[in-house]
Amino acid sequence: MPHTRQPLQSVPAANTPLVSLRPGAGQLFETERRLNAVLNNASVSIFLMDDRQHCIYMNRAAEQLTGWTLNEVLERDCPLHDIVHHTYPDGRPFPLAECAIDRAFPENNQERGEEVFVHKDGHFYPVGFTASPIRDDAANIIGTIIEVRDISEEKAAAERQRLLINELNHRVKNTLATVQSIAAQTFRGQTDQAARAVFDARMAALSTAHNVLVEDNWESASLRSVVERALAPHLLAEVDVNRFVLNGPDARLHPKVAVTLAMALHELMTNAAKYGALSVPEGRVAVTWSLQALDDGREQLDLAWEERGGPPVTPPTRRGFGSRLIERQLPMEFDGNAAITYAPNGVVCRLEIPLTQLGWVGQETLEGHPAR
Amino acid sequence: MSLLEGRRVLLVEDESLVAMLAEDMLLDLGCEVVVAMRLDKAVDHVRTGKFDLAVLDVNLGDARSYPVADLLLERCTPFLFATGYGTQGLEEAYRSAPVLQKPYQAAPLAHLLTQLLTCEAPMWGRADEKAAACACHRPKGEPSGAEPFQADPVR
Repeated sequence: MPHTRQPLQSVPAANTPLVSLRPGAGQLFETERRLNAVLNNASVSIFLMDDRQHCIYMNRAAEQLTGWTLNEVLERDCPLHDIVHHTYPDGRPFPLAECAIDRAFPENNQERGEEVFVHKDGHFYPVGFTASPIRDDAANIIGTIIEVRDISEEKAAAERQRLLINELNHRVKNTLATVQSIAAQTFRGQTDQAARAVFDARMAALSTAHNVLVEDNWESASLRSVVERALAPHLLAEVDVNRFVLNGPDARLHPKVAVTLAMALHELMTNAAKYGALSVPEGRVAVTWSLQALDDGREQLDLAWEERGGPPVTPPTRRGFGSRLIERQLPMEFDGNAAITYAPNGVVCRLEIPLTQLGWVGQETLEGHPAR
Repeated sequence: MSLLEGRRVLLVEDESLVAMLAEDMLLDLGCEVVVAMRLDKAVDHVRTGKFDLAVLDVNLGDARSYPVADLLLERCTPFLFATGYGTQGLEEAYRSAPVLQKPYQAAPLAHLLTQLLTCEAPMWGRADEKAAACACHRPKGEPSGAEPFQADPVR
């Protein structure tokens, strides 16, 4: 055994001040006082473990967290695991051999994880830990320093967040279904059925776009999912690969971009099914997109919708909801460009949408403030 | 003829589909509508254009429309906020501005805009503050060159 390998002591004597640390011993005493001030005022719990997983020091926060005093822990003279981590939350015994924190010395500095500890009074509490090895002069690991935080609040907050998002999903879908029902009741027998069908399809497209958002907690949506879902004939079907050729990389879309893009694609598809390439069996649609880097560091989505094999195209006499949404609203909403070309051999729609994950162009510098 | 006929209205609304609805309502009321869907564009419009009225959606993506409200105030252009959250959805300092409860409906929209023009609706600020001679005091059609007060844009 190398001379430098001095196991950290875990006997109660370790807690009694060494002779040299007594008041009047000068520098060392001053150092100890400072360290104690730091350790005992820290809000994070700190445990110092020896090479047998026995705790040989814990600060005041650790005593409060576990319910055990350092002296009690030292007197138990057993691995700390058997004092604070001995039982799984479901009541099964938790042997030391299965413990991620104590089983072995951490290989690296600051290994992190989450566990559930048992308080002295028997209740369980979730903790986040960070474990780092303590090495002697020859780099042998002689102990472990473990920082532990009670994460009950964070866990509870995450749970509240989850419940809220579930509620949000439920409310949004329910509201859309309610609007659909109100429309159905209100216009029963009063509107022509074609208009009703168009309305229902638009509501379904909006609802589908929201499904994509729900999958990622409303933070962003997958571009590919948005395109695929918008072009699928209905919720339970895949995109018809005989009809559509989709080609482009995936990207994350801001929820607003996702919803408007989904509605735009829905309108293009409806138009194609009625007058364009999807109105005949041999017609095809290519949806191709790429991401371009803009000078300001953002990315821009360039998306092309190209119809082929449909009946000869005649430009519409009247621009309806679809072209208004695509050519006018979409560029305004995202500071982009959009153009629909009614070329004789197939409708082409090109979209250029600058992507911002969060926030909007030019708005970072314009903060709302109360009038003085 | 409606008092709103021919009025130039700035509509600030960031959702495409909702903007289309509100624009149609304003057009049906006989207004001339300028739509802005982004805060920076709305600010540009107010700085460079002249409006008789403005309808401001409060939440514009991750921004709020308050900078537009401030500029409109400087120019004495009457405006209302449109929000799904009522007055509670507004920052404290802006709560005295008229609020149109979303979703947009034609009748309340027309009512509030007319009130703004006839100065029946509280325009701004504290009750003890007499409103300055503002755009809404001018009869429709009078040139706006005779404005007694025009604040310099701060920003």
